[in-house]
Amino acid sequence: MANTNKRLAVIFGDVTLGLKGPDFHYLFSYQTGGPESLRIQGKEWLYRSPKPTFWRATTDNDRGNQFPLKSGMWLAADQFIACQSITVAIDGQTIPLPIAPENNRYSGQETAQEVTATYTYQTITTPQTTVEVSYTIQASGKIRVAVTYHGQAGLPSLPVFGLRFVMPTPATRFIYQGLSGETYPDRMAGGMAGEYEVTGLPVTPYLVPQDCGVHMATDWVTIYRQAVLDNRLREPVETGLKFKAVDQPFAFSCLPYTAEELENATHHSELPAPHRTVLSLLGAVRGVGGIDSWGSDVEAAYQIDATQDHHLEFEISF
Amino acid sequence: MQPNIQWLDTPAVFRVGQLPAHSDHRYYATLAEMAQQQSSFEQSLNGTWQFHYSVNAASRPKSFYELAFDAQDFEPITVPQHIELAGYEQLHYINTMYPWEGHYYRRPAFSTSDDKQHLGMFSEADYNPVGSYLHHFDLTPALRNQRVIIRFEGVEQAMYVWLNGQFIGYAEDSFTPSEFDLTPYLKETDNCLAVEVHKRSSAAFIEDQDFFRFFGIFRDVKLLAKPRTHLEDLWVIPEYDVVQQTGQVKLRLQFSGDENRVHLRIRDQHQIILTADLTSAAQVNGLYKMPELVQAWSNQTPNLYTFELEVVDQAGETIEISQQPFGFRKIEIKDKVMLLNGKRLVINGVNRHEWHPETGRTITAEDEAWDIACMQRNHINAVRTSHYPDRLSFYNGCDQAGIYMMAETNLESHGSWQKMGAVEPSWNVPGSYDEWEAATLDRARTNFETFKNHVSILFWSLGNESYAGSVLEKMNAYYKQQDPTRLVHYEGVFRAPEYKATISDVESRMYATPAEIKAYLDNAPQKPFILCEYMHDMGNSLGGMQSYIDLLSQYDMYQGGFIWDFIDQALLVTDPVTGQRELRYGGDFDDRPSDYEFSGDGLVFATRDEKPAMQEVRYYYGEHK
Repeated sequence: MANTNKRLAVIFGDVTLGLKGPDFHYLFSYQTGGPESLRIQGKEWLYRSPKPTFWRATTDNDRGNQFPLKSGMWLAADQFIACQSITVAIDGQTIPLPIAPENNRYSGQETAQEVTATYTYQTITTPQTTVEVSYTIQASGKIRVAVTYHGQAGLPSLPVFGLRFVMPTPATRFIYQGLSGETYPDRMAGGMAGEYEVTGLPVTPYLVPQDCGVHMATDWVTIYRQAVLDNRLREPVETGLKFKAVDQPFAFSCLPYTAEELENATHHSELPAPHRTVLSLLGAVRGVGGIDSWGSDVEAAYQIDATQDHHLEFEISF
Repeated sequence: MQPNIQWLDTPAVFRVGQLPAHSDHRYYATLAEMAQQQSSFEQSLNGTWQFHYSVNAASRPKSFYELAFDAQDFEPITVPQHIELAGYEQLHYINTMYPWEGHYYRRPAFSTSDDKQHLGMFSEADYNPVGSYLHHFDLTPALRNQRVIIRFEGVEQAMYVWLNGQFIGYAEDSFTPSEFDLTPYLKETDNCLAVEVHKRSSAAFIEDQDFFRFFGIFRDVKLLAKPRTHLEDLWVIPEYDVVQQTGQVKLRLQFSGDENRVHLRIRDQHQIILTADLTSAAQVNGLYKMPELVQAWSNQTPNLYTFELEVVDQAGETIEISQQPFGFRKIEIKDKVMLLNGKRLVINGVNRHEWHPETGRTITAEDEAWDIACMQRNHINAVRTSHYPDRLSFYNGCDQAGIYMMAETNLESHGSWQKMGAVEPSWNVPGSYDEWEAATLDRARTNFETFKNHVSILFWSLGNESYAGSVLEKMNAYYKQQDPTRLVHYEGVFRAPEYKATISDVESRMYATPAEIKAYLDNAPQKPFILCEYMHDMGNSLGGMQSYIDLLSQYDMYQGGFIWDFIDQALLVTDPVTGQRELRYGGDFDDRPSDYEFSGDGLVFATRDEKPAMQEVRYYYGEHK
């Protein structure tokens, strides 16, 4: 039986909201526009605050059918996004945003059963639209994440939709339950369901670096890291962070690079030395297409309609 | 006969002193040699030769073939090898544009009102590199006192050959064997072979394939001795009765030399099933009924039989044993559907260029074996030899593995009719030009004569993306007249529908969308439909394959296609900045104009690692095995 007596320690800081349990300490920032720290069993899991992601490094077929010319504004939206507003709810009750002087009312002994921090982002597209990302943290340290994209008439087709985590050091491996190999919505019939381990952070060696490494129909993925940036930790041990689908399976890619880093290289040797882990959890993925590489678009069923809402929900645990 | 440098410019001159094409059967001195597949009649000339590079014909060492020539400044080179990869000449990748685009204004010979404008186009160009090769060799004992020919399996793009100072011949057609008789000038030791290879000739107009543009001796060079009686050519024509499962074989043999006795044996997989005795007359025809029911050849059951022809002299000594595998299968069109052995044929195919990331189109038997094994494990049942004949050994491999072949002629003139995507055939070659007919038909003849015995070949293909005219029409007629046992394929007639009735047994398209295919099949189609190229697997691609596979169950006349293509064409180069070995592509060698990464369309990377998309191919091609 779950321990319902366990409660989260809540630290109503001036810039961040601290949430603490025996094995974890999280910081949800009002300044960076998202969670700033997920420290679990002594290991930091965030390099920068996760942000919604919209871009994938242009594939050869994307280039051929002029997709980037039509949807290029999503590249800018992926790279630059503003957090428009933040709300905090304690045990289901939204409270006035607990920044100074509002937070003067709290003590150093605050606790809660469950805390939700919701960030609303506004895209720099024309027209603009919004994405909400809410993090609900339980006393166990589990985080439920819901990402909602609001469709907007006039926006061009999306390359991807999801939430991108950048972790401080490269993963040693990841294990997932889903389909074998690299799969896309229009190329997943050959994927066999199972549990798979991938060591390192392989980038598929397409001649020109491009989007790669997507795994469709995933139930969960656990990322394992050993190295840390924390100078105190001389001999860090490998630990894992699990991302589990809620209701619907998700897609993900786990690479050492952002879409923008991949986008800018014409050869693999031009990619930066791998320093970090870029985990993209995806609620919608554009197909790769295959009819030809000089004009035919991805089949209609595998394009992402930006005028419709999209949703992604998953749970983070350790 | 004296060589003439203007042969480079003249499409009507493409083989001088060259022996006629013939079957690619192997022959041996003894049964033991045959068991080992090691013929003492063969002597490889591969290895280190002497080499000199010139930027054009004017500056080449013109007298290098003379015995008195001082070759001091020649440098060692490995044969076979592309001259570009030996470091002498610029690497260049380009797709449909002619490789001289923006560098020279050129029109094919006889396509303008000036019927002399082509003279000097290549022979006097200030840039048209020449490779001058010298090689000294002794004959191995088994080749002495015999008639000896030399076989170049592939030389790009035009070559002049001398032996011991004497002119031997001239050849174009980069991808088919060129053979010359060396007997009159041959010595037992210290023969001097001189080969002058020109990068471009008039053949360049009809060898405009989408690939790296190389030149040089890039396939094996071999001496072949002909014993005193020799089987020059054989054509095994198996006939298979699908209903009765019986078979008979028509045999056409052509011998040279002394007339002797010939023991004919036919083996199945286990034993000799038929024997007969003949004499080695110049022309021999035979018809042999198989004594028992035959095991048909197909992708699932690649059953092969073997012909052996042993020539013996009066004393009963073996002079020569030839061997030819063959199989029983029937390809036909019935009610507008292609049938193989009475069943609807489904092509789960792939296009294949010969490629290795370090040696380009110089590949090995190991590379071929890897490619075939890869096809087998991924349910790929057919290969189109895009867009030229492959190394001889690949056809044997496909016979053995049950891979259906579309054997393509070395012909592509894409840049002569399509520019920036638009169809503009105002100077298309070979078109309907008489002056281009002989060279083009010769390519068909060589393809047919060389490979006619390979059971795996279901289709002769006229070539790729060359538009259509009366010359292609004649090619089609040639194949049909020579070989009623196979189908003829050509896609380019789609662009010139006035030739549809007289070119190609099948309706072939490339990159048609599923909706376009349906539109054809729903509107009184005349021919069965295949895609000679589809699912362009460039980079991260191969999405939406289901829409094509679904058509197989919806239309009997939709009979599959060949994915573009098997292997990425890219070259491993050491990056000077990082020191890493990495794959480079068009434009990475200062080569302009280029089509850059457009050659990276394979199901496997250039390094022969399967791309992630391969599991999708394995799945869908496994559905209609």
